[in-house]
Amino acid sequence: MDFVQNFPFMSIILSLFSGPLSSILSGKWAKRVNTAVIVIIGIMSACVLGYVTGTGEEFIYYMGHFPAPWGNEIRVGELEAFMALFFCAIMLLSMLGGTKERLTQIEDSKQNLYYIMVNLLLCSLLALIYTNDLFTAYVFVEINTISACGLIMIRQNGRTFEAAIRYMIMSLLGSGLLLLGICFLYSVTGHLLMSNIQQQVQLLAASGEYHIPLLVALGLMSVGLAIKSALYPFHSWLPDAYGYSTVSSAAILSSLVSKGYIFLLIKIFYRVIGFEIVCDSKVIHVLYVFGIMGMIMGSVNAIQENNIRRMIAFSSVAQIGYIYMGLGLGTEAGVVASVYHVLSHAATKSLLFVAASGLTDASGGKVRFEDLQGAGYRHRLAGIAFTVGSLSMVGLPMFSGFISKLLFSQEAVGHNHKMLPTLIALAVSTVLNAVYFMKTVITIYMPAPKDTEADRQGRNIAMAEQPGKSVALICFIILNLMLGLSSEPIIHLIQNGLEMFY
Amino acid sequence: MDIWMMLSVALPSAAGIILLAVSFLEHVRGKEKVSVKGLYVYTAAALILSVALALYTAWSGERSLTLFTLLDQIPVFFRIDDLGRMFVTIVGIAWLLTGVYSFVYMKREGGEKRFFGLYLLLFGVLTGLAFSGNLITMYLFYEMMTLVSMPMVLHNGSREAVMASLKYLFYSLCGAYGGLFGIVFLYRYCDSLTFRPGGTLNMAVVQGHEGILLAAVFVMILGFGAKAGMFPLHSWLPTAHPVAPSPASALLSGTIVKFGVLAMIRTVYYIVGPAFVRDTWVQHTWMTLTLLTVFMGSMLAYREPVLKKRLAYSTVSQVSYILFGLSLLTPDAMTGALLHTAVHAFVKCGLFLTAGVFLHRFGYTRVDQLTGMGKKVPGILWCYTIFALALIGIPPTGGFLSKWYLAEGALSSGIPVFSWLGPVALLVSALLTAGYLLPVTIKGFFPGEEAVSLDLSKEEPSPCMLIPLVILAALALFLGILPNPLIRYVGEIAGAVLS
Amino acid sequence: MCVFIEICALVNSMLVFLLLRNPPAETLTVFRFTGNLSVTFRIDGMGSLFAGMAAFLWPLALLYSFEYMKHEQNEKSFFLFYVITYGITLGIALAENILTMYFFFEMLSMVTLPLIMHSRTREAILASRSYLYYMLGGAAFAFIGMIFILTYGTTSSFVMGGVLDPGKIGDKTNLLLFIYVLCFCGFSVKTAMFPFSSWLPKAGVAPTPVTALLHAVAVVNTGAFAAMRVTYFSFGTELLRGTWAQNVVMTLVIITIVYGCSRALKETHIKRRLAWSTVGNLSYILFGVVLMTPLGLAGGMAHMLFHSFMKICSFFCAGAVIYQTGRNYVHELNGFGWKMPKVFVCFTVTAFALTGVPGLCGFVSKWNLCKAAVASENPLAYAGVAALMISALLTAIYMLTIVVRAFFPGRDFDCETISDVRDPNWLMILPLVVFVIVMFCFGLHSGPVIRFLQGN
Repeated sequence: MDFVQNFPFMSIILSLFSGPLSSILSGKWAKRVNTAVIVIIGIMSACVLGYVTGTGEEFIYYMGHFPAPWGNEIRVGELEAFMALFFCAIMLLSMLGGTKERLTQIEDSKQNLYYIMVNLLLCSLLALIYTNDLFTAYVFVEINTISACGLIMIRQNGRTFEAAIRYMIMSLLGSGLLLLGICFLYSVTGHLLMSNIQQQVQLLAASGEYHIPLLVALGLMSVGLAIKSALYPFHSWLPDAYGYSTVSSAAILSSLVSKGYIFLLIKIFYRVIGFEIVCDSKVIHVLYVFGIMGMIMGSVNAIQENNIRRMIAFSSVAQIGYIYMGLGLGTEAGVVASVYHVLSHAATKSLLFVAASGLTDASGGKVRFEDLQGAGYRHRLAGIAFTVGSLSMVGLPMFSGFISKLLFSQEAVGHNHKMLPTLIALAVSTVLNAVYFMKTVITIYMPAPKDTEADRQGRNIAMAEQPGKSVALICFIILNLMLGLSSEPIIHLIQNGLEMFY
Repeated sequence: MDIWMMLSVALPSAAGIILLAVSFLEHVRGKEKVSVKGLYVYTAAALILSVALALYTAWSGERSLTLFTLLDQIPVFFRIDDLGRMFVTIVGIAWLLTGVYSFVYMKREGGEKRFFGLYLLLFGVLTGLAFSGNLITMYLFYEMMTLVSMPMVLHNGSREAVMASLKYLFYSLCGAYGGLFGIVFLYRYCDSLTFRPGGTLNMAVVQGHEGILLAAVFVMILGFGAKAGMFPLHSWLPTAHPVAPSPASALLSGTIVKFGVLAMIRTVYYIVGPAFVRDTWVQHTWMTLTLLTVFMGSMLAYREPVLKKRLAYSTVSQVSYILFGLSLLTPDAMTGALLHTAVHAFVKCGLFLTAGVFLHRFGYTRVDQLTGMGKKVPGILWCYTIFALALIGIPPTGGFLSKWYLAEGALSSGIPVFSWLGPVALLVSALLTAGYLLPVTIKGFFPGEEAVSLDLSKEEPSPCMLIPLVILAALALFLGILPNPLIRYVGEIAGAVLS
Repeated sequence: MCVFIEICALVNSMLVFLLLRNPPAETLTVFRFTGNLSVTFRIDGMGSLFAGMAAFLWPLALLYSFEYMKHEQNEKSFFLFYVITYGITLGIALAENILTMYFFFEMLSMVTLPLIMHSRTREAILASRSYLYYMLGGAAFAFIGMIFILTYGTTSSFVMGGVLDPGKIGDKTNLLLFIYVLCFCGFSVKTAMFPFSSWLPKAGVAPTPVTALLHAVAVVNTGAFAAMRVTYFSFGTELLRGTWAQNVVMTLVIITIVYGCSRALKETHIKRRLAWSTVGNLSYILFGVVLMTPLGLAGGMAHMLFHSFMKICSFFCAGAVIYQTGRNYVHELNGFGWKMPKVFVCFTVTAFALTGVPGLCGFVSKWNLCKAAVASENPLAYAGVAALMISALLTAIYMLTIVVRAFFPGRDFDCETISDVRDPNWLMILPLVVFVIVMFCFGLHSGPVIRFLQGN
């Protein structure tokens, strides 16, 4: 066994233990440790990715060398490694982009608490990505929920408490459903390890037995994870949670946490149930319909918003709609598109959150549009970054959003019944995206009228004044362009990764 | 390549453009020189030379010229044929006489440079129009004619005149576009757009598309009818004529409306061919429209108190005589139509010029102001009377002859209803014509009781105004007394296209 | 700065013309998005015409804008985007495949946005917003069409006659036609086709060089150009001719022709009037496109070329008036003809050309369009010919009233009120004169151009 194969496990453990470690450190040191951990894990993930790509096949890591069903397995393919790497990168940049906000918005005594949460969150995300065991997945889902709540709540004001409680309730409902689903599966198949369950499910599907329990289990798990990742009708917790928490939290929550669940759902589809069976069930149609509704309604809500942070949050609802719509198409290419959109949305949404915070900084901390007038001139980099993010969201060629739009629609064209609704929804949603994002872009480039609130509150911010944010923004922009311009290797990677899921 | 032929078009145009440019520059610089004498000499020389050249070119035999290719295979092509020759002659005479008249008349209106510039330019354009050898060339000059004649209408620059000129412009353009609409279709269904007596329709291509082609031809007739004052696009005439200077109205009424007639003849007789139109709904509708216009124009003229407006309505009615003759599609009727074209051109030109005298000398515009004119300007009123008689169609004037041929053509055409309805309408209209024209003469010579309060001293206008009128009156009589050469000439044209 | 920009533009135009004279046969792939989707360039007949047009107009328009922009602010940012637009327009002209075209199409919307909101007034912001919504909305529907071409076509390149693979279409013809309608409408949003036309007059708040060059020529023509590409080179006329899809788009186009002109008639703001006139005239081009015959394409292209000269010239005249006097409405122009003779003589010629007076270029393209319409033997196309005629009349009314007003203000008009009005300097006059000469040249000698277009 190669040494590299230990890396996934090590990265989980590393982030898990760095959490408690942070509790005894001062805020400053906790931050350094956290950064180091993320970087190290990122490097390790890159090594794993290189290794898996090199061998061309996935590997299974037995914790403590106990084989299933007693031991706990980790299963690593290209996609997993890539996801881990990508999540680390996004997390690093998000943390970097929100450095200043964290210092000002979080009480000094709780600084290190924040890093505990972030470390735990990273750990749980990695676990969700790597684990081959449903129950382990559930455990980390819960850890994820709790640390996410902490991230929301740590900026202490009334809105965040309310938001955190909402998030908690909805999330717990989601995990409860997930747990129920897992129980069903366990009782039907007698296994918790994904590969084992799949074998059993295949047999059951072939024999036609336990059709309904299986369907119920699938439905429960899908709905549970959909609630947690804020699919349209279950999104009510999201705007407050993203809109009022500190920037890093919002960026991480929107681009990583919800995506972790989606990744888990994809894994369940492929690894636990088997993609064919999922496609045969009605569940994906439900997901598809909700996805489409989310695409439209999220944008409609966003248009009505007057708060830039909440607007971006609602846009997340729409984007998650895209992802579920892709899953709902029920084809391999649809899933590829969805995974790609996971990446592109993660890169774009955190960019937008960080850029928006830059713009509000330049407008005296105000988040309403009328106060943001001219912010693009006061904080140039943030303005450019926000424009890039918006264009990507609208799906302009060159930016990442275009490629995912392209993938979605190319896939949809081949579909018999879902083609027209998908295409039309895509077009309408593009228009709606354009309406609110470009409206914002135009607003920030419209000089504030003299002697108004916006004019007086505003101050110019140079790039060097907020080095962390500037670096983060530049990296995000580059990332976005990379995804937009050289998407081919990434798409290949996703395809190969999904192949390995079988 | 007979490039010299172009000279008759180019010379007056160039002379006119030079005059216009000078006037424009002077106006822009804000210092207008009033060098009237030089202007008159220049204009007179240019005019005489142009008319002489045009007449010479016209009567020097069959000549043709391809200038350059405007659109795909359609060149700007000129050819002198009998019809064009006749029109050029009419225009030349009218232009020369009206020109002499306007030297005096335009002193009162001012802006002579611009007026004479346009005057010369318009002559060039009309010559080109008469010489046009294919439909596109004709259309080109047709548009030019509208654009050049329009500033003449708004000459005095009053708000009313500007609005009238715009009305004239838009009616004319509306008509021109109707024509263009048809031309586009004819291009598809004809061998070529070059005029050929009897038409150039390619029946093999037309097969199956008769409906749309007839509709296109009808739109063309309506379109060119706008210029000729045919219902329903006639209403620009009574608006434009009263505000334009009298020489301009004389030319508009006497000659320019005739070019609507020319365009129609060219379309129906030289491109589509009478055979294609005969006995179709197009012919019937056309006839109905013309008869309606004849009657309606007379009625409106009858109850119109303003002299120039009355004359304008009379033009509406009289030109539709011509159109009625054309719509019958028989040689006799066409002979009548062409005769009436010539007669009406001179007569209406003369009538407007007399109206101009009243306006110019006394400032009278309304008919009831003209009481006793016979004592004041007897020469003018005598001319007026001759014109009136000619228009009514009383022998031995030219009008009688043309109406005779028209009626005869209608009766012999064998078209049910119209063969007798036409002559009846012509007769009724002739009575109405007498009714609206003769009161001026009667009241003029026999003012009756009212004359007591009027100053009836003799105030003959300058010979420059009188002589052209006398010549025109003489022409009107001459055409009635010695009509044979003209009848033979137009008879040949009619025979050629309707054989 | 001005000299530098002008030299850049001139050199670029030279290069373009040089390239067009010796067109390279092979294609140039710049980079690949995914798989067979790449940004690739090629020079073909249609593209070279469009590119040549842009290369001819840009230096002249720049010359004009140097003078014009003196009374606006932020010249630098203006020229930055103005010149970028040049490049992107060329990109569209020379695009080899539908993706490249779409790519530049979207870029164009983005790059012209700052130009519209240049003055940063509330009005400009609102205009730029609606501009953007329309553009991106249009692109979203065009995108659907593109995806279909990519999926059902044998290649994404433009091939005359279409690239659709009959084997793949199967029984989905109706669906494909529906998609074509969507796609056509999507691209035609840029040409302000009814019912997507209201952005264009609003965008008139931009500085005149922008309105003139972009919203009368470059941007809007790219819409028409793209519509041509998808109709003739992607979907293929074989599939479309005589179907309900053709009827639908043709009806829309015919409505636009009349609608645009009627709105122009109602409008009293000069630039907005010209903008509505553009709406009508652009639909002439589209009318040529939807005839779906080679003749129609040639007619559409011809009108695209000629209309560019006519409309840019009329806008420049309007701009000269605004620049010199700040007057914006038609009724304020009384007597201007005598005070700004050069500008208004040019305007008069342009008005005649737009109206379609023979001898000027507008007539040639209208003739070709009508000819193609009649030759197509489609009853709806006959209605289109009638619409063209009606529109010509309306054009005459709304253009010539301005001319008459300028030269014949009425006898009682007091010339003293406009005694300070002057012609602008040569920077503004030169482009006008060049355009007028071009109008005459094309009007009198259109043979080579038309033959070139029909050779396509």
